[in-house]
Amino acid sequence: MEYRIEVENLNVYFDELHILKDVSLKIPKNAVTSLIGPSGCGKSTFIRTLNRMNDLISTFKLEGNVLLDGGDIYNPKVDVVDLRKKVGMVFQKPNPFPKSIFDNVAYGLRVHGINDEDILDQKVEESLKSAALWDEVENILEKSAMGLSGGQQQRLCIARTIAVEPEVILMDEPCSALDPISTTKIEDLIHKLKNDFTIIIVTHNMQQATRVSKHTAFFLNGEIVESGLTNRIFIEPEDKRTEDYITGRFG
Amino acid sequence: MDRRYPRIRFQKKLDELKNKVDKMGQATLKAYREAFSTFIDYDAELVKNVLEINKKVHGMGYQIEHDAMSIIAAEQPVAGDLRFIEASIKVSAHLKRITGLAANIAEVARHVKDEELPERPMFDLQRMADIVDGMVSKSLAAFLAKNMNVARELHRDDDKVDDLFDHALKAITKSMFQDKESISYLIYLLFLARFLERIADRAENIGDRTIFMITCEKRDHTNGKILGK
Repeated sequence: MEYRIEVENLNVYFDELHILKDVSLKIPKNAVTSLIGPSGCGKSTFIRTLNRMNDLISTFKLEGNVLLDGGDIYNPKVDVVDLRKKVGMVFQKPNPFPKSIFDNVAYGLRVHGINDEDILDQKVEESLKSAALWDEVENILEKSAMGLSGGQQQRLCIARTIAVEPEVILMDEPCSALDPISTTKIEDLIHKLKNDFTIIIVTHNMQQATRVSKHTAFFLNGEIVESGLTNRIFIEPEDKRTEDYITGRFG
Repeated sequence: MDRRYPRIRFQKKLDELKNKVDKMGQATLKAYREAFSTFIDYDAELVKNVLEINKKVHGMGYQIEHDAMSIIAAEQPVAGDLRFIEASIKVSAHLKRITGLAANIAEVARHVKDEELPERPMFDLQRMADIVDGMVSKSLAAFLAKNMNVARELHRDDDKVDDLFDHALKAITKSMFQDKESISYLIYLLFLARFLERIADRAENIGDRTIFMITCEKRDHTNGKILGK
């Protein structure tokens, strides 16, 4: 199996707080990996470590290795803007910019120096099509993104993320603010996107993890208790704590 | 963290499902015992009773399937809970079939009620029936208590039943050759032997299902190899 990301003995601290404890995990290429676990177990900190979002917090301290395609992303020579182009992120709450639909998707491309209108038109259309939103917005591209529904806004955010052609997409509970139909659309989209991207999704919805991901890692108190194929974890977990969590005995 | 939320309502539903399988199993066992008893010592009331239990057990089986589907739809169970629910559906189907075979035994009993039955095959059939009785009890107990050791014993018991089945067939055919007039009713001893052997197989199936529920592994017990993984 080919791995896109390899995390080795990762320890993360915020001041004295030891948030992630000796976490090691390999993320397979072009597959969906779910991160599950109760609130406060370190899942979000973990994915934010993968595109150096935690760097913005002054008390953040890290030990261990985070390798993207074999290269250490915490190497001082790494350009963080370039890293975040490779490792995009979709957040829990849709967060479009207060701009037009077109400008939202074109934003990242312009940041990375693409200003040719023809190229922008083509990339925006491609991204919106990939995000399964094009049919709904092709005639209203100049309208404000804020007028879209929650589900459409989230797909717009996904289009904005994939426009810059990342290698990895991090999704932090991308459906938790959406209704069931919008959730289904995002899940179908995740299935489609995994052919081109490596996807890591944090979810509190156990059934969503079983539906969308091939691999799952269970976090508890900053440690990975168990990781492996989703089917195995949800049918025959090895660790009693995993079984207790996924069957809802604690959380 | 580590606060425990026992999912009280969900646990109650699982307990209720288990109780229903237990009740169905007890009804199955009663039907089997009464059926064999009426084969040995005919009682028309008992035959009627077995047929009534058979009908009731069918209804219990559908109720278990219905409850299991409701739990799956409402609670989306996973891991051990899911395996238990899936096993309950399968076990209830086996219990239904065992009760059906008990009803078959009761139905053929009237054909031999006035006949003098030969000693040798009856001795083998009685021993078979005793082991089968133990197997049905054990299979139910193994499933309800999730006990692997008891479930495994069922393979050995089934081998014993198969041996006795062969002996019984030989003894019955021998009796048929000795007295051709007897064929008209001895044929029903062949049926009895067959029904007992089939019940033993079903009890063994419940044991296998129990092992699968616990380990998620299905082994071919002739060579120990894991199947379907």
